[in-house]
Amino acid sequence: MTDTPLRKSLYLPTECEIISVTDLTPVEKLFRVRRTDGLPLGHLPGQFVQVSLLGWGEAPISVASSPTREGIFELGVRRVGALTSAMHTLQTGDTLGIRGPFGRAFDLSRLCGQDLILISGGCGLAPMRSLIQYCEDRPSDFGRVAILYGAKSPADRLFKDDLARWDASARFACSMTVDNISGGDCFSGSVGLITRLIPPLTFTPDTTIAAIIGPPAMYRAVIAELYKKGLSSSRIAVSLERQMRCGVGKCGHCSIEHLLCCQDGPVFWLNEIEHLRGAL
Amino acid sequence: MKLLTPELLDAFFATLSQRWELRLPILLPDGTRIIGSLIDGRLALHGGAVSGKPTAAFFPQQSTLLSVTDGTVEETPSPPPLFIVGFTPSDLASLRFIDRFFADGWRDDLYFTLRENAAIAALSGYCGLGGALIPLAGGDCDLEFFWDRSSWLVIAYSETGKKLIEDLPDAARTEVVELLRQTTPSLPDENETVIRAASLLLRADRVPDSFWAEIGDRCIACTGCNLACPTCTCFGVQDWRSANKTERSRMWDSCQLDGFMREAGGHNPLGSEAERTRRRIHHKLAADPQKWGEISCFLCGRCDAVCPTGIGILAVAGEIVARFA
Repeated sequence: MTDTPLRKSLYLPTECEIISVTDLTPVEKLFRVRRTDGLPLGHLPGQFVQVSLLGWGEAPISVASSPTREGIFELGVRRVGALTSAMHTLQTGDTLGIRGPFGRAFDLSRLCGQDLILISGGCGLAPMRSLIQYCEDRPSDFGRVAILYGAKSPADRLFKDDLARWDASARFACSMTVDNISGGDCFSGSVGLITRLIPPLTFTPDTTIAAIIGPPAMYRAVIAELYKKGLSSSRIAVSLERQMRCGVGKCGHCSIEHLLCCQDGPVFWLNEIEHLRGAL
Repeated sequence: MKLLTPELLDAFFATLSQRWELRLPILLPDGTRIIGSLIDGRLALHGGAVSGKPTAAFFPQQSTLLSVTDGTVEETPSPPPLFIVGFTPSDLASLRFIDRFFADGWRDDLYFTLRENAAIAALSGYCGLGGALIPLAGGDCDLEFFWDRSSWLVIAYSETGKKLIEDLPDAARTEVVELLRQTTPSLPDENETVIRAASLLLRADRVPDSFWAEIGDRCIACTGCNLACPTCTCFGVQDWRSANKTERSRMWDSCQLDGFMREAGGHNPLGSEAERTRRRIHHKLAADPQKWGEISCFLCGRCDAVCPTGIGILAVAGEIVARFA
């Protein structure tokens, strides 16, 4: 028997204040947040936090902003359940709980000096935005950066202002597509699946790294197109979504065979997981 | 080594109860033998492995993560020191496994607050079901009670254990235990051979999906296997609200339930009974050996005992070996 010193529990959230709330789409909002104790979140692109509202539970949410944007962090949240519906009622000045950051981030040391192809679908743009902003703020760290984004319709696109800015920037080569377009939509990109954006790309496979974040159905199709272009699985990073209940490798809900998405991921190199059942 | 005769048992535990909260093998009125409090049933040291998850002492079915009353976070009271009797050598192996699991990476403070505040006693000797011999544990606990058919020989393995039994008389039958230590079989038993063979077949990807569809068809998703398993550690998190209080708890969860992995967007990586059944067996026999270097089933037999349809891990392993070896 030993005496255990008192310390904060792993499962106790840290209080954070909402600085602003912005509508991204009719079902997605962006929350700009800061810790009330003034400390930075201390995250890296690709990591997530467990967001909690007392009485509504917790959910894993990817951080949508770069750690280079100091003092605050942002969370893009789709309204899909009880917790996220409750979050959508929050306003500036309200508080929420945060645990984390958790999980494996993008390997910035390996990305450094490489050309990047950043491919996201739907609300996968939220976690990808953290990496895009990082590239924006540290332009000398990376080579050419291509941003590929697919959404269901022009209205369903997230971060429309950011997309317009990245599209106009000489720093990025942006390509966008939507599944459907209707009369009256103002959209200059392609119509069709995101896979159609890959064949026109020109890049050197040995000096290029691709990152993919999107809905489960997107990965295999996008990976197949990247393979056709000569990119190897060791040069493709994927960020996987799972229902993490704890974020700290204990609850078992995010296991992929012997790996845990919340600890070994959510960012994996493709050659680490492509052979694992249920990973993609 | 100390001697504890049956007539001294009550006094021994009564003395310990002044400083420790006791959890002992007891017999409930319905005939179930569990680790519990003497308030709920009479002492039942004999009978082998108890029903239920013995590791529940440190990973309870429900634990409070956070409690807020009228906007104030309540301090979690320190738990009383626990003295737990009733682990078999297999249960101790399970405990050792989940100790490692909960310590790895982010150390689970909830688990270790209970674990590090407890003393554990194993039961061995001729106290198994019908007087069967339970092999000597030989460690991984504070105390071991060895039934030599007339008395308990009590062996201490830690300083805490030594203090607990310092007032008991010394035993004069050391040679009995030494003899049994030497005669405890060192070769794996038949069940262990089956489990190891099934593990190798799973890791070699020799078990087809059609097999899991068959086994999945026999699963009624009662979750009894997970709830009884001493190395099952999956949990969900739930908030409970009342007028002035909100409590966040973690509760045991089961990978045999459809919603176990279902994501907010609807995607379900374990969307069929076949996949969920495969996960239950594969996790113990293939994924854990890859991650931790050992099979995480220690053959306690509980899931096979509780499964109403005969697909406990040993039964499934037996089918795997019979059909695919």
